[in-house]
Amino acid sequence: MSTKSYDYLIKLLLIGDSGVGKSCLLLRFSEDSFTPSFITTIGIDFKIRTIELDGKRIKLQIWDTAGQERFRTITTAYYRGAMGILLLYDVTDKKSFDNVRTWFSNVEQHASENVYKILIGNKCDCEDQRQVSFEQGQALADELGVKFLEASAKTNVNVDEAFFTLAREIKKQKIDAENEFSNQANNVDLGNDRTVKRCC
Amino acid sequence: MDEEYDVIVLGTGLTECVLSGLLSVDGKKVLHIDRNDYYGADSASLNLTQLYALFRPGEQRPESLGRDRDWCVDLVPKFLMANGDLTNILIYTDVTRYIEFKQIAGSYVYRDGRIAKVPGNEMEALKSPLMSLFEKRRAKKFLEWVNNYREDDPSTYKDINIDRDSMESVFKKFGLQSGTQDFIGHAMALYLDDAYLKKPARETRERILLYASSIAKFGKSPYIYPLYGLGELPQGFARLSAIYGGTYMLNQPVDEIVYGDDGVAIGVRSGDQVAKAKQIIGDPSYFREKVRSVGRLVRAICILNHPIPNTDNLDSVQIIIPQNQVKRKHDIYIAGISSVHNVCPKGYYLAIISTIVETANPLSEIAPGLKLLGPVVESFSRVQEIYEPVTDGTKDQCYISKSVDATSHFETLTCDVRDIYKRMTGTDLVLKQRPKMEDQ
Repeated sequence: MSTKSYDYLIKLLLIGDSGVGKSCLLLRFSEDSFTPSFITTIGIDFKIRTIELDGKRIKLQIWDTAGQERFRTITTAYYRGAMGILLLYDVTDKKSFDNVRTWFSNVEQHASENVYKILIGNKCDCEDQRQVSFEQGQALADELGVKFLEASAKTNVNVDEAFFTLAREIKKQKIDAENEFSNQANNVDLGNDRTVKRCC
Repeated sequence: MDEEYDVIVLGTGLTECVLSGLLSVDGKKVLHIDRNDYYGADSASLNLTQLYALFRPGEQRPESLGRDRDWCVDLVPKFLMANGDLTNILIYTDVTRYIEFKQIAGSYVYRDGRIAKVPGNEMEALKSPLMSLFEKRRAKKFLEWVNNYREDDPSTYKDINIDRDSMESVFKKFGLQSGTQDFIGHAMALYLDDAYLKKPARETRERILLYASSIAKFGKSPYIYPLYGLGELPQGFARLSAIYGGTYMLNQPVDEIVYGDDGVAIGVRSGDQVAKAKQIIGDPSYFREKVRSVGRLVRAICILNHPIPNTDNLDSVQIIIPQNQVKRKHDIYIAGISSVHNVCPKGYYLAIISTIVETANPLSEIAPGLKLLGPVVESFSRVQEIYEPVTDGTKDQCYISKSVDATSHFETLTCDVRDIYKRMTGTDLVLKQRPKMEDQ
């Protein structure tokens, strides 16, 4: 254990319509950077940031959609093993808010059953273009039974808060209770083995 | 989709997805389309609703089997060789990030009316109930030859010319009985028929080595299997492709391959949209006029509520019924998996039986397999043509994969992947290690 740079690994993922700022939120959180132009996500598998909670180092591994949300072709494999999910919409785009229910039902179908979810209304800095009120967001979150925050990746509002809220919840419920984490003991490890030879 | 791409891929079967991933990593602009609303084509794993829609259109799935989300039912009985080429490709592309694997707990072979564990090495051969005491010694000598053979040391040849002497003559040299030959050729070298007996011994030796090295990797059997079903494999490579810029569209009809005046494909039409590309890859179902049938397969998917009898209650097994044992020309395969692999709810087991069709009554041909399963809760069977492309694609730029075949593993599939890659790019596939996750 002493060689490990963390005490616990938590897998999180981002979901929501194309253009709501999933990658921006991820880059703000993991690298404290922001790119304003809209580029469909290419090349990001996941990002890592290690945080500290109650003296424990928690390594957050946060997965992005690889752009597959654009035509609704997210692989079921994307949801596997996630312990927390950030459901995003854009407060300046009513449609992205309406689609939250669809994403939520995908999560229900494919993610593990006790996965923690948080609803995030992104771009809350764009007050003059707002189409979804804070109250509407809160009402939907209450209905879905999840926590809610408005955030801005651009002006760095509530970004850390969003990830920390989720991480704190997961740590409390899963890690402190010491369940779920020994499940993978019987799986085979292909990860670090480069000695396989081809045969044909 | 009205854009120009380097490559358009039709169908999200495993061959197509591996190629899509590899070509995207190479920097090619890839559009990947499937007419179905799910990934995987013939290598998909289906939930109950999808399974009933495919096999029993119009019929409601029974409530008694539980929730859709608990089922991932494979359509083909295949496992990965732990030391095989697909494992190799998964590791080098780091698609292992997206998929977790479990071992298959045991490998069995049918002989003289019962099933017994397949020995994986000399030591196991000595304990096997498959052979008499004297036969065991002979088998041990044979496996030692397989293992100790060195290209650069003629003293290890034991007077066998591996490129000239037939496998039949090698078996004869070691004095192995026909039943022993059956399980070595069919359950270890994994040949589907007896054509290998007349061929030089080299390939058989290599196949036995692959089997043995795959067992040596994790212990119980030569096979590993992805949690949540084989359908995770194409999806893993689809994500790889998407990470490198590949565009995915499911539930998208493909109405026509568009050709130029010279007969070379220039794109794909879907409705009133046309996507252009220099090269097109697809499974046989997208190129009906450019493929020929090379045989038929009968497969039955069975839902059980108990382990397969006589397999020590293992959670997963492969069973091979060698052709000679049931007076056939092709082997019958059974793949057994269970809730341990997250493919069905607790208490259930899945068994898939398959063989190459030899008669006018295909369903009766899998009867010897069904007999081994005991009571079955539900079964779904169908007969499928096996297609191969008529041309190599270099003239019309249509690169067509082979249908998912009758073999019990993915070695022929990765050969097809490497072959298509070479025909498309002119170079051999060289796997490059992706950057480690911490570097990103």
